[in-house]
Amino acid sequence: MLVFTLRRLSLFMFTMLLLTLLSFSLNFLFPGEAIINLSGAINATPSQLIELNEAYQTHRNFFWQYMTYLSHIINGDLGLSMASQSDISTEIVNLLPATIELSLVALLIAMLVGIPLGFIAAIKHNKLTDNLILSVSMLGYSVPVFWLGLLAILAFSINLGWFPSAGQISLLFEIELVTGIQFIDILLSDSPYKWQAFSDATAHIILPACVIAVAPATIFIRLARTSMIEVLETNYIRAASAKGLTFQQIIFRHAIRNALIRIIRHVGLQFANLVTIAMVTEVIFSWPGIGRWLIESIYQRDYTAIQSGLLVLSCFIFIVHILTDFIYAALNPLARGIKYGA
Amino acid sequence: MIYLKFITTILLSLLLLTACNEEGKLSLSERSVIYCAEGSPETFNPQLVTSGTTIDATSNQLYDRLIAYQGDKNTLSSALAESWHVTHDGKKITFYLRKNVAFHHTDYFTPSRLLTADDVIFSFKRIIDTEHPYHLVSGGNYPFFQSVSFSDLIDEIEKINDHTIRFHLSHADNSFLANLATDFAVILSAEYAEQLAKQKAKSNIDTHPIGTGPFKLKEYRVGSLIRFYRHERYWQEPAQIEQLVFDITPSNTGRLTKLLANECDVTAYPIAHEKIIQREDLSLEAVTALNVGYFGFNVKKAPFDNKLVRQAISYAINKKTLLDTVYQGKAEMANSLLPKTSWAFDESILEQEFNPILAKSLLTQAGYSDGFTMDLWAMPIQRPYNPNAITMAKLIQSDLKKIDIKVNIISYEWNTFLKRLKLGEHQSFLLGWSADNPDPDNFFTPILSCSATQTGSNTTFWCNQEYDAIIKKALQTTNINQRKKYYAQAMAILTQAVPLIPIAHSKRYQARGNNVIGNILTPFGGINFYHVAKRKLTSKKTVVKQNPQRRKNNIINTGVN
Amino acid sequence: MARDKIYLEEIFPSPFMQLWLAFRKTPVAMVGFSCFLFLIVLAIFGPLLAPHSPVEGQLDMLLLPPAWHIDGNVSYLLGTDELGRDMLSRLMYGTSLTFGLSFIVVIISLVIGVIIGSLSALTSGLKSSFLNHFLDVILSIPSLLLAIIIVAILGPGIANTVWAVVLVLIPQFIHITRYAVKEESRKGYVLASKLDGASPFRILYYSIFPNITDRIMGQATLAQSAAILDIATLGFLGLGAQIPLPEWGATLANGLDLFYIAPWTVYLPGLAILFSVVATNLVGEGIRHALKLRKEH
Repeated sequence: MLVFTLRRLSLFMFTMLLLTLLSFSLNFLFPGEAIINLSGAINATPSQLIELNEAYQTHRNFFWQYMTYLSHIINGDLGLSMASQSDISTEIVNLLPATIELSLVALLIAMLVGIPLGFIAAIKHNKLTDNLILSVSMLGYSVPVFWLGLLAILAFSINLGWFPSAGQISLLFEIELVTGIQFIDILLSDSPYKWQAFSDATAHIILPACVIAVAPATIFIRLARTSMIEVLETNYIRAASAKGLTFQQIIFRHAIRNALIRIIRHVGLQFANLVTIAMVTEVIFSWPGIGRWLIESIYQRDYTAIQSGLLVLSCFIFIVHILTDFIYAALNPLARGIKYGA
Repeated sequence: MIYLKFITTILLSLLLLTACNEEGKLSLSERSVIYCAEGSPETFNPQLVTSGTTIDATSNQLYDRLIAYQGDKNTLSSALAESWHVTHDGKKITFYLRKNVAFHHTDYFTPSRLLTADDVIFSFKRIIDTEHPYHLVSGGNYPFFQSVSFSDLIDEIEKINDHTIRFHLSHADNSFLANLATDFAVILSAEYAEQLAKQKAKSNIDTHPIGTGPFKLKEYRVGSLIRFYRHERYWQEPAQIEQLVFDITPSNTGRLTKLLANECDVTAYPIAHEKIIQREDLSLEAVTALNVGYFGFNVKKAPFDNKLVRQAISYAINKKTLLDTVYQGKAEMANSLLPKTSWAFDESILEQEFNPILAKSLLTQAGYSDGFTMDLWAMPIQRPYNPNAITMAKLIQSDLKKIDIKVNIISYEWNTFLKRLKLGEHQSFLLGWSADNPDPDNFFTPILSCSATQTGSNTTFWCNQEYDAIIKKALQTTNINQRKKYYAQAMAILTQAVPLIPIAHSKRYQARGNNVIGNILTPFGGINFYHVAKRKLTSKKTVVKQNPQRRKNNIINTGVN
Repeated sequence: MARDKIYLEEIFPSPFMQLWLAFRKTPVAMVGFSCFLFLIVLAIFGPLLAPHSPVEGQLDMLLLPPAWHIDGNVSYLLGTDELGRDMLSRLMYGTSLTFGLSFIVVIISLVIGVIIGSLSALTSGLKSSFLNHFLDVILSIPSLLLAIIIVAILGPGIANTVWAVVLVLIPQFIHITRYAVKEESRKGYVLASKLDGASPFRILYYSIFPNITDRIMGQATLAQSAAILDIATLGFLGLGAQIPLPEWGATLANGLDLFYIAPWTVYLPGLAILFSVVATNLVGEGIRHALKLRKEH
């Protein structure tokens, strides 16, 4: 496990290095002066500019500039937003939890729906149910998410009136921002309407989370189906059935556990995919998350916000990646020896 | 199967949660109104801006004025000033303030006294006195007051006692009272300003507002929401709703969706009116805003130096089609420069007749029996008074073709368009005017007076001494009926001379759920949530029963009725 | 089946032909394939066949519903939008933009990716390990996010979108080629030609490539469906094709304001995207299915 940890750690360092290098060089690739792109101080007076140049060490060579950039990031200084002139790190701290919350709920839904469906398809391999599930899943990952979101709003918010169409919670509830994760904040708050707020927030998250979950769920269907089919063909399952266990016993006691382990490995990869889908969905459902903020920054050509947003978002995705690797390794000792990417 | 049970439990508990939500939340939502606004305010002080979005979010909600407009004809009535008195020469105006007006009590300020003359003096000194410590806070620009030359007009503001103040004017000006009643002339707290000066946080006066209005600011998240609480010690009855939330939703579809999904109680500038009218639990309302869209002529250029030609064209244009197509029936036909909501509107002015035959004969009379070719400049962008000038130009083109006039449509980029218009390079043009205040003078002087030909706001270059004399006289009398007579004369001159053809007064639209009652739109286009209340809706059907007439015609015109 | 075997021995079909023979056997895949061909034809000839201009509107034909609706007009089969532009023509032009461009994008990135991938497969050591890590990092960032990053750098526009998607797809092709080449190199027939003294490039070209085309084809269909969705999503977000280009995603975004009064302006482009992605995925499924069948033989 130690070697495994060290290996992941080195990979993490390498990736962070690459990502920061990328976001640093973005400042030079974007139009305008690098120092302004870095700091976001568009209205800086000449004297402020001199200070900024000093702070970012622009007179030294590229390597030192990069090093100062890194130290700024480590100190949590991502500059000011060019559009609103507010501190980007505070904005990201406020927005990222909303995205994490939405993505986690969506991931949960995708897993809860996708994996069992995949198992059912595998058990009914090559029968009507299997084909039906497969066709639905094909539709699921072919549908453009923004279109699906619009249809969902039309059907469930407007025609049926079941779920709200926009935002994280009804604006009537005043919930103080503590962790940024709405559900936790609600539980922490001392509002007299705590439980109403909680159920209102639940109603708000269902629709966007389901829309996001559609594509990953179909992937989970296929993953679960393949891994279940493989497991069902293994010798220990045959042995179990030779022992005279009922079909149900075989599936619930032996097959599911072994099939699940294989799937967990892919959860990390799917999470990355899911966060991207969440970005687009946030725009449609006006979810106050980092994806919508990032896309708005692109509209406004807010380069400081774009580069910091990208950095934070890709770091986040990569950290999730490595975390799931760890969980997988902890659950499955066999995986620890495998080299990354081999 | 354990799995299935687990899912069912979750679903059931969710259902339960939503169920109790329905019962409990009503109490909170019944006491609150969510308004979907089209944008964020730039500041919380309306003195500093002319932008409608900012005015909507601040002026009527957070503040009061000395005097206010009331009724359909916008007559002046008391507000913070219980009464006022104008001397005979119109140069001294005394206001007697109410004694029970409390300022907002918020997280950031606790007032220790009620409204006094000091607050009024502070509010106006800040604008007119360039030496005032607060004058330059937030930039020192007071666009509305600068445009009416407020600082030249006011010689002195005198405090007679704690509740009496007197304005000394340099000359009599009838629009002065009207200007004091505009959304811009709000009263701030002098005590708050002192406190901020001590804390060295002067700019907070415009970002953390303290006023006397029916609501106080609770929370503002840029680009996301403004939360107001009711001002419990409001000098009138406190507002009926306890909480007012502005949900800032710049996307047109977003606002409509929130309205349709009942996430907004009221929404600004809705699109897809047909859809809203179809819905039984929603209604669409409109108010004719004080503006005019018109077709103007450059009277310095042939053939429009000939009055007969201008008259001919005014008969040849089918305004009805223009209204139906360009404004999609969402505007009122303009018979004169003034909208019907203005108190000075003269009922005797008739609708312009559409008569191509008369037009043709007038043309022949003027010596253009074979017609001619003209340039028509159409503005390139969408304005409230003209949502699509190019389309309008195309329609005018086909109308004029019938009387043998060939029209070339010309359009430049907006700033170039205005610049060249001021230089008088055009023959005729499509433009419009949105009033800053409901005083009728705001239409007559800037658009058509001789002095306005120099400043560039009168691009017809029509200059008529008789007309000018009349509108000047109208500004100097205090007698409303006399003023009204003067303006009727002015309008009669315009109908004869036709320097421009008024086309439409467009409306401001708003949509709301039927459970929100009370007027929101003010007659000249602002919004005010003071009178709003919410009633419980048991089901959609009862609404239909309650309002059989409303169902038939879902558009309620608050402005005219 | 017995007769087939005799034929196979006489003329041994190339791996590509084998794939086609297996592919032909699944009817669903063939349906997908014909839809795919139809889209290609439409992408090339759509602008010639379209009945109206996609950009110029007919001012007296605003917001006409599709022809089957009671207020519809047969000459505007799928209705018109708020400027009186024919939806059918817009969708047909859109085929060349969304579908056609995605096809071109895939071909460009395929060529570049395969070249880099096979070259890198021939290297080993530190360089290879660096590339490996680098690819892992890039591949861990979702394609759409990466495309958004690149568009953010290059600025919005259809041309920039195309480059962004090309850049995003290249690493995927590098990865699969590299992996496939390495796998094939270990096989006996490659060793045989190596022993014959063939140069690495000769081996690559004559021995390995014909045996990995099928896998690359499979990847290409995946890339194509991702490319369609990415181009459309960027268009929808206003970062891709700009108005008045009738790119499907942009057309859909344009219809957004009309969603509640003229829903067909949103339904139709969405259906078009769905249709083309499903067609592409069906072809991809068919290829993968055929590959599996071949392996099982």
